[in-house]
Amino acid sequence: MTVHDMKHAGSDSARLEAVGGRLSRVDGPAKITGAAHYAFEQQLEGLTHAVLVGATIAAGKVTGIDTRAAETAPGVLAVLTPDTIMELNSASDWFGRQPSEETYCPLVREVTFSGQHVAAVVAETFEQAVAAAALVKVSYDEMPAIVDLSDGSDGIPVDAMTKEWGDAEAAFAEAPVRVCAAYNTPREFQAAMEPHGLIARWEGDQLTIWEPSQWLDGMARTYAEWFGVPFQNVRLVSPYIGGGFGSKALALAHSAVAAAAAKMLGRPVKLVLNRPQNFTSYGGRAATRQTVAIGADKAGRIQSIVHRGVNETAVDGMWVEPLGSVTSIMYATPNFSSKQNVVRVNTVVPGAKRAPGENPSAFGIECAIDELAHELGIDPLEMRLINYAEQDPHAKKAWSTRQLREAFAAGAEAFGWAKRSREPRSMRDGHQLIGWGVAAGTYPVRRAYGEAVVKLLADGSVEVESSSIDMGQGTYTILAQTAAETLGVPVEKVSVRLGDSHFARAGVTGGSRLAGVMTGAVYKAAGQALDELIGLALSDPRSPFHGLQANTLQVKGGRIASPRGDGPEFSIAELMRALGREKIEAKGDTVPASFTPEQRYNNYTTIAMALPHTEGDYSRHSWCAHFVEVRVDEDFGTVRVSRVVSALDSGRLYNPKLAESQWKGGIIMGIGQALLEEGIVDRRHGRIVNGNLADYMLPTNADIPDIRTISVGIPDPHSSALGGKGVGELGIVGVAPAIANAVFHATGKRVRDLPITLEKLI
Amino acid sequence: MTSQTIIDPPEDGHFRNGKASNGASPTTLSIHLTINGRDHALDIEPRVTLLDALRERLHLTGTKKGCDQGQCGACTVHVEGERVLACLTLAAQVEGRSITTIEGLADEDGTLHAVQAAFLEQDAFQCGYCTPGQIMSAVACIREGHAGSDEEIREYMAGNLCRCGAYPHIVAAVRQAARELRS
Repeated sequence: MTVHDMKHAGSDSARLEAVGGRLSRVDGPAKITGAAHYAFEQQLEGLTHAVLVGATIAAGKVTGIDTRAAETAPGVLAVLTPDTIMELNSASDWFGRQPSEETYCPLVREVTFSGQHVAAVVAETFEQAVAAAALVKVSYDEMPAIVDLSDGSDGIPVDAMTKEWGDAEAAFAEAPVRVCAAYNTPREFQAAMEPHGLIARWEGDQLTIWEPSQWLDGMARTYAEWFGVPFQNVRLVSPYIGGGFGSKALALAHSAVAAAAAKMLGRPVKLVLNRPQNFTSYGGRAATRQTVAIGADKAGRIQSIVHRGVNETAVDGMWVEPLGSVTSIMYATPNFSSKQNVVRVNTVVPGAKRAPGENPSAFGIECAIDELAHELGIDPLEMRLINYAEQDPHAKKAWSTRQLREAFAAGAEAFGWAKRSREPRSMRDGHQLIGWGVAAGTYPVRRAYGEAVVKLLADGSVEVESSSIDMGQGTYTILAQTAAETLGVPVEKVSVRLGDSHFARAGVTGGSRLAGVMTGAVYKAAGQALDELIGLALSDPRSPFHGLQANTLQVKGGRIASPRGDGPEFSIAELMRALGREKIEAKGDTVPASFTPEQRYNNYTTIAMALPHTEGDYSRHSWCAHFVEVRVDEDFGTVRVSRVVSALDSGRLYNPKLAESQWKGGIIMGIGQALLEEGIVDRRHGRIVNGNLADYMLPTNADIPDIRTISVGIPDPHSSALGGKGVGELGIVGVAPAIANAVFHATGKRVRDLPITLEKLI
Repeated sequence: MTSQTIIDPPEDGHFRNGKASNGASPTTLSIHLTINGRDHALDIEPRVTLLDALRERLHLTGTKKGCDQGQCGACTVHVEGERVLACLTLAAQVEGRSITTIEGLADEDGTLHAVQAAFLEQDAFQCGYCTPGQIMSAVACIREGHAGSDEEIREYMAGNLCRCGAYPHIVAAVRQAARELRS
């Protein structure tokens, strides 16, 4: 067996390039020069353009579609309706569960939400398709719609969400100090800057889809099932993704329309949702309601937490936003009860938006504990330490690592928390009321299996291939770093190729799992390639190292030599030439050897095989603490976030430069959630009235102060091969409650409905 | 491709507007755009935006379509050196004017513009989709003299949305590039 030293020489560039180094994005040059071609920017011969027609009612029947004017408009190739689009098979869901219906029509006769796709026009040019789509006349038989959570009943209990221990209601009733309040979050949207869309092309029964995707293999499975072709006949290509935030993991109705149109016309079809359609064609974060009741003793020790949650879901689809996920683990309590219902409303099925579940869950519990701290006159940070959970209170297992105490300490120190005056409205700067707030966040470590191919080529360069993707998290970069460090070559020798479902497979990019999964797979594949290279170097008669009686060899800076440094030294290219090899290729995976081919397929194309974060002896989570300063105009009630310090435990960071960017991005999305973002539904028509980027307000540069992030993580061997935990989802969790708590400290007014807008403060 | 053609400018310098071509609509215009110092002639309908002309006809996809409504800034290009939203500009409006896109910002030899280099160094982007627009805005912001302080940079870069939340790093990149360009 060979042994290889993975450590580089200690030069600056080597430190930068190694795993854990602050290497700049390797895909950066393409992105800053315009050379990066995103999925639906591919240029194809004979490309046609499709535009969708959406329902203008939220509930009812389509009674007629007059397509005559559209069909005769210039350049129009086809007008598709529920009657004319080809029939598709229903596809299994993301757990791999078989559908209840046999067939699927992505254009509807029965409308269940405003904007639902009713028809589509395909034309030679985009402009012609837009113009003709406006000529399609749809008539309806409108029914009353349920427009939001306040219209519904109590909803449907989701028993799988129930978490209980002790006797929570009785313990709450007996507790000497009690707080109980309701916390609401509105419908929110991912609003990635790149809209959803795709190009579909059929060649015989081979389908190629260029589509921004967080999950190539899962989406390829859906297309294959829709069209009844083998999985391997579908190729999904997604070289760069212009933001996803949870929204781009599934093949959706518009995807089916484009692929069906391409098949029907025998020409490639490009369909890109316009910006308003991006608010209705896939789900954002469901609106939520929670009540959190905490009972404590007079020293502030929690005796009981009683939590009830509701989220909206669709009339014809199910989404559960797990509202008890943070409530049940953040603080030690002997008694606990959490239950959740869903309420059906006329909306597109809600979906995943950054930290689904944990984000609204943290808003409830992290505001409630602040209210308890105020009730008792205890500092909110001290309150959290008094109730620090030394183990997972729900799973009753040890934390794999939990650097939350360290996060509180580091964040408080950097923020200057000790100088906070306790009373609300006690800090001001002229007409601005100043408030300081704190809140914690957490996200579970989601683990799965992945595979990667690593190729050592004759010129000494290295290729890494994987069907995983980079939507800005830095996959290209950290996989280059992992391969370079494992092989002992400079990072510029490594090229990483992602975003093609014909590459070695990967599961979903979501739940902050990809970096842990893929660094593990690349580490393994690169190790295998290195073993093979060194084995050949020692054993092949053509090798210059043959007969040296060395036990092993070492590769450093792309050069191979004896670790003692007393023998010859060659570049990898020279050695490959001597060996007469064009390449050495290794496919490495982290899949259990016992897996059948079907289990492997399900591992990559469903989420059913993911490992529970409480599997075995440990409970695995990343953690963070946010410290926020707000300035509230006393007269106008306008809130500005003026300072943020966050300390975060994501375990070992593979590239701190990129991880800090992701954390800050999460924090900024959290500022938007706290102060700006709210999908507003017109109660007459059940329609999102602010479905555009001016009226659905995202944070702009002018809304964001300097943000300081501090890493307090330590390598966590129970969470991933290289010791990292999740990064991308974590940053947003806890931001909104930290801001709400700061606003309370500034003004003495507790706003429990997001976003915190000025009319709620004056 | 559909109606895309790149032809040399006519020798007489006059473009035959209103002439039908490719059997398409009789309202097709023959227009002439100067992009990144190169001449492009196009036969397009008058309703074609500069953004769609760049992306769909000329295959200059570095300029991004985020909203197509003038709200996000992803399509920012320079017309005669000033920042302009390509989605709210008809291609025919800018005939004969000098247009610069992200593809034309670096030197011919590939040397990056100071703003591009600063964006890479400061990690001022993640997904990269808003980035060409951010960079084009930043170049203009500095040129306009609006990069004097972080506060001013934030205000004058506020028209370019970034959902990944790279704002603090964008401010750092613009600050760095402004300093380098002054010296």
